[in-house]
Amino acid sequence: MQRRKFLGLTLGALALSAIPAQLAAEDFRKSKPKVWSAHTVDDAIKAMYGSNNLVMEGVKLKAPDVASNGGAIPVSFSTTKDVKTIAVFQDANPEAAVLVVDVNPYSVNNYSVKIKMAKSGTITIVAEGKDGKLYTAKKTLDVALGGCEG
Amino acid sequence: MGTMRVKAKLKNGVVNVKAMAKHAMMTYNMAEKKTGSRDNANFITHISASVNGKTVLDMSTSQFLSKNPIFKFQFKGDEFKKGDKLEMKWVDLKGKTGKGKTKIK
Repeated sequence: MQRRKFLGLTLGALALSAIPAQLAAEDFRKSKPKVWSAHTVDDAIKAMYGSNNLVMEGVKLKAPDVASNGGAIPVSFSTTKDVKTIAVFQDANPEAAVLVVDVNPYSVNNYSVKIKMAKSGTITIVAEGKDGKLYTAKKTLDVALGGCEG
Repeated sequence: MGTMRVKAKLKNGVVNVKAMAKHAMMTYNMAEKKTGSRDNANFITHISASVNGKTVLDMSTSQFLSKNPIFKFQFKGDEFKKGDKLEMKWVDLKGKTGKGKTKIK
């Protein structure tokens, strides 16, 4: 009887400890649907973070000055700040959001990704600090050939 | 099921990952132009990666990743070693999934 009780407790404790790890993975398309339908960067940031109070520091962003192919523009971004999420927005396409990374304890927060832009515009990276600040970097670039086919 | 090509390398305590998913990434505008209906748009909406059951990347995405999206990311490698298996998964708007895996080198 004693043993059975002990086992039961252990299993319960295990189950409890397993839950936070599962919750950590957040699907922002489900939890924040408005971010993905917002047409402007300001609206998307507001939908994501509830604020437009951006701090222009703490994030490094690398993208070409002129992109010959708007269908695959290489964008690199990184931050050394202690952050919860990092998001990429742009103002050249019908909707603003490109991606949101849910940062985990293993994240180094140095990313490269290829994105589409229909015309010249500005890329905005927002890193949501654990201190509540929205660390931001922006880069405006020319797109020679649009990548969304209109 | 879709596929994903993945490479992972452990160097100075950090695992560098390069991944490419094979996907058309059809935007709403492209779908409207090509097929006449925005409902035919389809693109990857979520990408995740794990090693030994631990999530090392979790990313929600939109239609504005490039066609056959290619990306790089890094994660801390202290808990992991060469030979550990990195598994990646994506899911698209229509619910189709893709997988890729590699051993950390």
